[in-house]
Amino acid sequence: MDKILAKKDFSRWLEALGAYDVYAPRLIDDVWNYELAADPKAISLDYPQTAIPAKKIVFPQREFFFEFHEADTDGYELKELLPGGKPAVIFGVRPCEGKAVTLTDLVFGGEIKDDYYWKRRNSAVLVGLACASPPSANCFCLSVNGSPHSKEGLDVLLTDLGDHYYVEALTDKGKKLVSEAGAVFHEAKPGDKKAAEKIHADSEKKLSRELKNIKDVPAKLKGMFASPFWDDESMSCIRCGICTYLCPTCHCFDINDEVESQSPLAGRRVRTWDTCQFPDFTMHSSGHNPRPDKAARLRQRINHKFQYFVEAWQNYQCTGCGRCITLCPVGIDIIKVVEKVRDHVS
Amino acid sequence: MTEEFEPKIVAFLCKWCSSAGSDLAGVSRMEYPANVIPIQVMCSGSVSPLYIFEAFNRGADGVLVSGCHPGDCHYIKGNMYARRKLLLVKKLLEHLGLEPQRFQMSWVSAAEGQKYTQVIKELVKELKPLGPQTKLRREHHG
Amino acid sequence: MVKHEDLKAEAKKLLESGTIKYLIAYERNARDGKAIPVFIKKPEEVDKITWDPTCFHNLVRFVVDEKRRKARQKNPDTRPVGVVVKGCDSRALVILLQEKFIDRKDVRIIGVSCETTGVIDERKLAKKLKGQKAKNIEFGPDENFVVTTEEGTVNLPASEIMADRCLECIAPIPVISDVLFGEKTKRSTPHPFGSVDKIETLSFEDRWKFWSEQLEKCVRCYGCRSVCPMCYCDECVADTITFAVTPDTTADEKALKIKWLDKSPVISENIFYHMVRAIHLAGRCIDCGECERACPVNIPLRMLNKKLEKEAKLLFGYDVGFDPDKPALISCFRDEDPGDFIR
Repeated sequence: MDKILAKKDFSRWLEALGAYDVYAPRLIDDVWNYELAADPKAISLDYPQTAIPAKKIVFPQREFFFEFHEADTDGYELKELLPGGKPAVIFGVRPCEGKAVTLTDLVFGGEIKDDYYWKRRNSAVLVGLACASPPSANCFCLSVNGSPHSKEGLDVLLTDLGDHYYVEALTDKGKKLVSEAGAVFHEAKPGDKKAAEKIHADSEKKLSRELKNIKDVPAKLKGMFASPFWDDESMSCIRCGICTYLCPTCHCFDINDEVESQSPLAGRRVRTWDTCQFPDFTMHSSGHNPRPDKAARLRQRINHKFQYFVEAWQNYQCTGCGRCITLCPVGIDIIKVVEKVRDHVS
Repeated sequence: MTEEFEPKIVAFLCKWCSSAGSDLAGVSRMEYPANVIPIQVMCSGSVSPLYIFEAFNRGADGVLVSGCHPGDCHYIKGNMYARRKLLLVKKLLEHLGLEPQRFQMSWVSAAEGQKYTQVIKELVKELKPLGPQTKLRREHHG
Repeated sequence: MVKHEDLKAEAKKLLESGTIKYLIAYERNARDGKAIPVFIKKPEEVDKITWDPTCFHNLVRFVVDEKRRKARQKNPDTRPVGVVVKGCDSRALVILLQEKFIDRKDVRIIGVSCETTGVIDERKLAKKLKGQKAKNIEFGPDENFVVTTEEGTVNLPASEIMADRCLECIAPIPVISDVLFGEKTKRSTPHPFGSVDKIETLSFEDRWKFWSEQLEKCVRCYGCRSVCPMCYCDECVADTITFAVTPDTTADEKALKIKWLDKSPVISENIFYHMVRAIHLAGRCIDCGECERACPVNIPLRMLNKKLEKEAKLLFGYDVGFDPDKPALISCFRDEDPGDFIR
């Protein structure tokens, strides 16, 4: 049953969520990011796009696996550190980020499940916000099988109807979240549903950018592995890592031991984000690096998103949020690169 | 009974002058606070800013770099480079808001065992009221 | 006023004569009207070249890349590479020359004067335009920028949307060049270290509060390091795994390698990384502002990295990035260097 939530009652919904860690977009130093919501009354979902996507809550930039310390007797004691604490609720998740989480689900699920990821993922509740107009000047979700009102990966979808939200609870988690605040919501009327559907339909006509006719791009990429095309395209890349860290679908990580004491030896095993754009990402312990230059690394990013992931999971590993384009310091544009691949004549 | 806070001081002492000076203090049985973790380096000029940052990162409450007096450096000019480089480090740490007393330099020659004990006594006295250094220290999970 | 035709003519001349192997310049990105770096290899391509207030990138960064590229090639083309530089960028070239990272003959320097106005700050412009998108930005008369949006064209006072570093500029004209376009106008800069001075008015505790809040935001994307022309080390202290390894390196050596800081983006490690970068930039940072521009979470890095440029001047009388024959800041000293702080 769909509901209506008056915007003035929004903080009352948040106040009913004491059992959760509530995240919402907050503007700090001119940058929007999902942060723990300290003051429910100060939250507004009137925002464009966060710099760091919602993946940071389900797949945090740093998490612990286990702690180890030298035991008094010979050997080591290990203690697993599975994520605990309150489940997270994230408000304002854009549909592209919801879809992105379904893609990281494929990677961390499958034959070998990543317990750390799933503990957070299973308990987190994603409250999406449909995009009435593109949040970014570089949005192109429709071109990569997404949409500004997609429900994929989300537990609840909010549509902004002016002074109230149209609330669709999509999953059991979503329904529970809505029912927990009960009286704050009102039943939706047929007129509300129509208004929401109109916003959804209109939003599909407003996309900032398009990446057209990319059906053959995966096959094309296969044939371009050795092409000098990548040298030319990557010339301005400064191999920073911004594109991949801020990508909702990117999920590469590094594992390190953070040693706190040498004797007795004690510390924790930590997972942190990593990126294929760093030069030493593929450094072997022999000193050999199969991706020694920028051309190889740009090729890797494009191939992973538009060829390898398609072959493995039948999805583009790109949800068209445009962050990599907006935040690249040297203006490398994934849409332009893929268009050039599409049109490439060897 | 609560224990009084004892600052942990990492002291980078140049082998030819300051470290020898600290040895002289020792063999002469001069008394001075036991708060120092001495690290011998070949020259004060060889002390990289990384050592100082790492010391603070690992929990040092204070860091001292001590070398030969100007003109007496075993490597002629090493201490002159240290004077310039480590003043830049000091300015940077203060810019970030680290209390200026936490990072200090001294010139202590091999004959100045007495001066060494004086430097340490004063350093400990200045650091005690500041309490433990928590700003740059890495997390400690106990 | 720098004329595009003059720039293009010079570029064409250099490419046609084969004097340079390619030119690093700015081109207009048709989609949003802002400049991006371009690499011009053929004389026919010089029409791409632009010079306007959105040319905020420091192209000297790509001179560093060229050196790396040459090092990987068996028979590299030893001709110089052409590069368009503003005043600040030219000082970066001076540093690379001081440190003998490149030879003077490796670069063909096309200097462009910023004249009376610098380049824009994208965030300031976005705020000023309140959601409207700029399609074109040009240098205008009387210290204005001419900004065209969907709504029309408007003259905006440059000082309102100029980058902070331009407001503190001490080198509006390139200090080194093979050819110079634009007038050698003098610019008065009453507060060349204004950004740094702001911190110095705060108490130690307030300074710490400011920096810990700012550096907590850091996600260690290393955008600041990657965009900086001076961060050219192949082995960076922050990435312990780039330390040279060969098939003969033993497992013990690898396991016991020094790890100065952890990869985790927690405050202690973030501060360590930024402190190391700031100290390694002492006497080398020429305040091109790229680190702050690249940062996706808006950390005011100029306030940190520029501090030691100020101290170099005040404490040691050292001007950073003007004389390629001068020794580096920390590889020289004066007898009168301050020593009062030493017990």
